[in-house]
Amino acid sequence: MLNVSNLRKEFDTIVAVDGVSLTVNRGEVFGLLGPNGAGKTTTIRTILNIIKPDEGTITFDGLPFNERTWNAIGYLPEERGLYRKSKVLNTIVYFATLKGVEPKEARRRGHGWLERFEILDRAQAKVEELSKGNQQKIQLIISLLHQPQLLVLDEPFSGFDPVNQILLKDILLDIRKQNTAIIFSTHQMEQVEKMCDNICLINKGRPVLSGSLRQIKQQYGKNSVHIDFEGEGGFLKDLPMVKKADVYQNYCELELHDIRQSGELLAKLNGHLLIRRYEIVEPSLNSIFLDVVGHQTSPVAP
Amino acid sequence: MKKKLDIAKWEFLEKVRSKAFLISLILMPVLMVGFAILPGLLASKPDTRIYTLGVIDETRELLPTFSKKLEEKYRIENDLPNYVIRNLWIGGDLNAVRQEAVQLVAKGEIYGFLYIPSDVMLNGKVEYRAENVSNFRIAERLSRTLEETLTEKKLIAAGFDASLIKELRTRIDLRSLKITEGGEEKESGFLQTFFGAYIFIMMLLFMVLSSGQLLIRSVVEEKTNRVMEVLLSSCSANDLMVGKILGLSALGLFQVAIWSLIGIALSLQLGTNIVAVEYLWLLAVYFVLGYLLYAAIFVGAGAPVTTEQEAQQITTYVSMTLVFPIVLAVPATQNPDSILIKVLSFIPLMTPSFMLLRISVQLPPVWEIVGTLVLLAVSVVVAMWGAGKIFRVAILSYGKRPTIPEMVRMLRTR
Repeated sequence: MLNVSNLRKEFDTIVAVDGVSLTVNRGEVFGLLGPNGAGKTTTIRTILNIIKPDEGTITFDGLPFNERTWNAIGYLPEERGLYRKSKVLNTIVYFATLKGVEPKEARRRGHGWLERFEILDRAQAKVEELSKGNQQKIQLIISLLHQPQLLVLDEPFSGFDPVNQILLKDILLDIRKQNTAIIFSTHQMEQVEKMCDNICLINKGRPVLSGSLRQIKQQYGKNSVHIDFEGEGGFLKDLPMVKKADVYQNYCELELHDIRQSGELLAKLNGHLLIRRYEIVEPSLNSIFLDVVGHQTSPVAP
Repeated sequence: MKKKLDIAKWEFLEKVRSKAFLISLILMPVLMVGFAILPGLLASKPDTRIYTLGVIDETRELLPTFSKKLEEKYRIENDLPNYVIRNLWIGGDLNAVRQEAVQLVAKGEIYGFLYIPSDVMLNGKVEYRAENVSNFRIAERLSRTLEETLTEKKLIAAGFDASLIKELRTRIDLRSLKITEGGEEKESGFLQTFFGAYIFIMMLLFMVLSSGQLLIRSVVEEKTNRVMEVLLSSCSANDLMVGKILGLSALGLFQVAIWSLIGIALSLQLGTNIVAVEYLWLLAVYFVLGYLLYAAIFVGAGAPVTTEQEAQQITTYVSMTLVFPIVLAVPATQNPDSILIKVLSFIPLMTPSFMLLRISVQLPPVWEIVGTLVLLAVSVVVAMWGAGKIFRVAILSYGKRPTIPEMVRMLRTR
């Protein structure tokens, strides 16, 4: 569906994106990851033809961006907002007609979506009268009502409560089944692990990791130990066999120099901590992220 | 094209539905009527009351003729005199009488009084005192009548026959006629010409200001709420710009059309003449080109703006260039051939206003019309091109307003 190769974009003096390449297929959820300011938004804007790249090519089904591409893409920007004074359903219909949907059909589909998000009773309300979460639902509806072939979502889960996060996840999986390509930009690694097939991790404008989630995890090998515990876990990162530690109040992810030392580790814990769970696993995406980006000491919000 | 029209439709409908639009739609004519018609009605309203005026005539000979003239000349309804003269001095202490007269005015028995000194024949100096001296009509009528009386007296003293004097006095009633193209003569005062052109300039000013401001506002709003990015993933920046200009121009036109209808209906009701404007098509061409030029400027100046306050500033600056010709409107109508006016007509920003004025007064030479039109059209094209460039880059810039060098760089981008 989408093929990006060797993207480069400069702003005045900074190189925002350099050498980013990625391929997204239909029916796939693609994770575009990276810390704040890594160049995710610039990459997305370039893909969506909002800004023009300085170098590199972007093709949709082998064709460069053209008149018809406008109607085949959907976008949920990270920073949310709508026309505050306009009515909910009118707003939805307007954006849908811009995407080439007939107004009548747009109205019908809009109804359906409002129903699914359980806010049909607010259809004639002004946008500003809606809660933040509900406004976000409206924006999501706007991004997908025209049944795009490529849907780009920037931090779609932020701002939703757990109930709505599940609703959103179900909807995304439905859309994916309809053979839509979904690009998912986030730093919520948990969501990525649950939903994405392939990922690309960008740091400082350059791709540092890309490929299928499974392969990447294998590549990083099984040298991680996850422990649920009770007690003071501060000493864990100072143990000799521990290469890297990510310690929370009652949970930790440890990376060992050699996985064969895990028995040794377990012995050290005895008497210090009450162990609830001890598991040798593939590294979590979060720890890979931290490892690659190099912020071992400042964990990114999970 | 479809996307442009979709955007235009949305901009138009959303603004038309808004309360602010409805308010301005109603409020503006009310204000206009208030400003334009009320003072006129008040000033030209005929007197309905009789004024009693005192006269102290130190010459002892002017009063009879003067009061007779005044009472005959100015009449109100039912053929009653507008002014009744009361003689305040028959003899005695002049100062005491004057004191008394002031008391009379204070008590309201007389409206005011006129003091004619004995040496009035030599220097023509008289005094009028009243509580309200700003009623210039009374003062003016008194002085004019006294002048006539004095002239008559002097002529008689010089040996002229009284009946001859009457014949000599011809009342002048000036009618000004405007010669139009067909050689046909149409009655039209300076005010009418002035007003006809004025309406057009006001309409242009109003449309530029209202739709220009809406344009900037809507760009600022879309930047603030980040709808801009969703829009730009649905259509090109060019679609967006053209759609907005179309929609908001339609809005301005709609507003002006409604007001014109109200205006025409009102003047038909009141029986006022509707000024028939000649060369309407030519005026329309200047109007449209002028409007487009200003629209482009608003787009270019407004796209980098990020806050409402900045938007306000920009609107103020741009409107200045439009208001400037209005300041020069009176000299321009009185003397459309002056070099200064000609030169100013060739400055594209002022071309529309000045040409609208000049065409209404007297058709300028063909070369000037062609020249200004070509210059204006070229500026429109250049301005639109530049505005499009700036718009494309600036609508995605948040935070601080770009500096002039940055704007120049925007113009250079591919």
